[in-house]
Amino acid sequence: MIFRNFVYYIKEAFGSIFRNGWMSLASVSVVTVTLLMLGSFILLNENVEFLATEIKNQVEIIARVEETLTPPEVERLRAQVIQLEKVAEVRFVSKEEALQNLKAQLGDVVAGYEEEGRNPLRDSFEIRTIVPEDIPAVAAELAALPGIAEVDYGADVVPKLFSVTNVLKWIGMAFMIGLAVTAVFLIANTIKLTVTARAKEIMIMKWVGATEWFIRWPFVFEGLLLGAAGALIPALILQRLYAEAFTWTRINLYFLPLVEPEAILGELTKLLLLLGASIGTLGSIFSIRRFLKV
Amino acid sequence: MIEFYHVNMVYPNGVVALKNITFTIERSEFVFMVGASGAGKSTLIRLLGREFLPTAGRIRVFGRDLTKMRRREVPLYRRSIGVVFQDFRLLNNRTVYENVAFAMRVLGAPSREIRKRVPEALAMVGLEKKAKRKPPELSGGEQQRVCLARAIVNQPSLIIADEPTGNLDPETSMEIVELLEAINIRGTTVIMATHDKQIVDAKKKRVIALENGQVVRDEQRGAYSSDF
Ligand SMILES: Nc1ncnc2c1ncn2[C@@H]1O[C@H](COP(=O)(O)OP(=O)(O)O)[C@@H](O)[C@H]1O
Ligand SMILES: [Mg+2]
Repeated sequence: MIFRNFVYYIKEAFGSIFRNGWMSLASVSVVTVTLLMLGSFILLNENVEFLATEIKNQVEIIARVEETLTPPEVERLRAQVIQLEKVAEVRFVSKEEALQNLKAQLGDVVAGYEEEGRNPLRDSFEIRTIVPEDIPAVAAELAALPGIAEVDYGADVVPKLFSVTNVLKWIGMAFMIGLAVTAVFLIANTIKLTVTARAKEIMIMKWVGATEWFIRWPFVFEGLLLGAAGALIPALILQRLYAEAFTWTRINLYFLPLVEPEAILGELTKLLLLLGASIGTLGSIFSIRRFLKV
Repeated sequence: MIEFYHVNMVYPNGVVALKNITFTIERSEFVFMVGASGAGKSTLIRLLGREFLPTAGRIRVFGRDLTKMRRREVPLYRRSIGVVFQDFRLLNNRTVYENVAFAMRVLGAPSREIRKRVPEALAMVGLEKKAKRKPPELSGGEQQRVCLARAIVNQPSLIIADEPTGNLDPETSMEIVELLEAINIRGTTVIMATHDKQIVDAKKKRVIALENGQVVRDEQRGAYSSDF
């Protein structure tokens, strides 16, 4: 592409954007609305996934120890558990500590035991695996160890959680693809209007002997610029809103973990700009194709 | 330089617009294509512009066979032709100067060239003083002059004009044809479709007459009709 031509394309694109001011505004708005929805959805999805991972990571295995074991035997058992390949962390919880925890959760119901000096609980290990998906396998290995009385890990919760996050991901994906396709169509239609408005120019260009790409480039740039402008707005809005939401949540809903803004907003902005530019470019290529035939 | 050889044109809807057309036009000729409305003049002009291909036959221009030309070669071919339309087809939101410059810009001409040749073309058609006006502020004849300037600014070897005087009064029409003559004298071949009897009879140029899609007469220094 000769530089002189490049300058011409950009000039034409900007000229057209301003000449067809309302149309351009409509295009930008369409992209803005679409990408705002898309961006919000991405943020939501990322956070649900983040939350799911957090919850999954909090799922741990509780392996209760036979009452008959002596402290050195318990210590040896602990060493055995930590040797297991997929295990990340083992914490010993004495039965006294367990009773205190229970008391903190249930209150008076447990108080009776304490008065009687009885403790119906067992010593236990709280075990975390390196990845939450390994929990069932590790639980089975633990159950087979001599000295372990019972193993507990919320057997139903784990697989269910995995399937829920998967379903959510697929629904999200379908939703996003649907939105993106809609945006391309809307942009194509809007640019079709500007192309129609410039049908005469295109016709003259063809009669004078301009090449197809020469005719196409200004429209491609126009679409690209409109798309990128349409993406910039939601990117800025979402950046601002998400940062606010993150701060608010941290103060008011401290138990709800959200993805750090720094970890997500940069990528999101890049993605939205890329999507906006692609939507715009694609839309303009679609709408000009018909006019180039002669 | 231009050769139609047994050319037939049938539109997709079945209308037979041209039947077995054969003629040759030499370099620097000035030719009137005459005939009643519906005779096939526009179809012939559009074939010359390679807007579509004939159903049968061969068209050679500048030694190139239009029917064998590749799609991406068409723009290059069109650069050697200047086209003048009955309805002018000017960009109303651009100045006269910009309308003419547009034809150069879209070929990627350097701005130095544009600054030199656009005023020359405007001077040729006598519009150098109206360069900053926009087409709606001009008379029909002036608008057609802009169209002419745009057609010649890229220095084509052939001008095709489809009823360029169709929307103009007799006096203005004569001025436009005289401009075409002036362009022709400088060596450019001119083919003009018209059904303006007065002009054709006055100019005594070669006349190719079409009737129902067929050439019925082809004579040098001819008149609009043979019956006088
Ligand atoms: N695009 C088209 N599709 C179908 N028929 C057409 C088309 N253009 C012209 N015709 C027909 O072809 C014949 C010749 O038309 P045209 O070349 O426009 O004649 P002229 O310019 O001499 O008036 C007419 O019968 C016309 O109706
Ligand atoms: Mg006609």
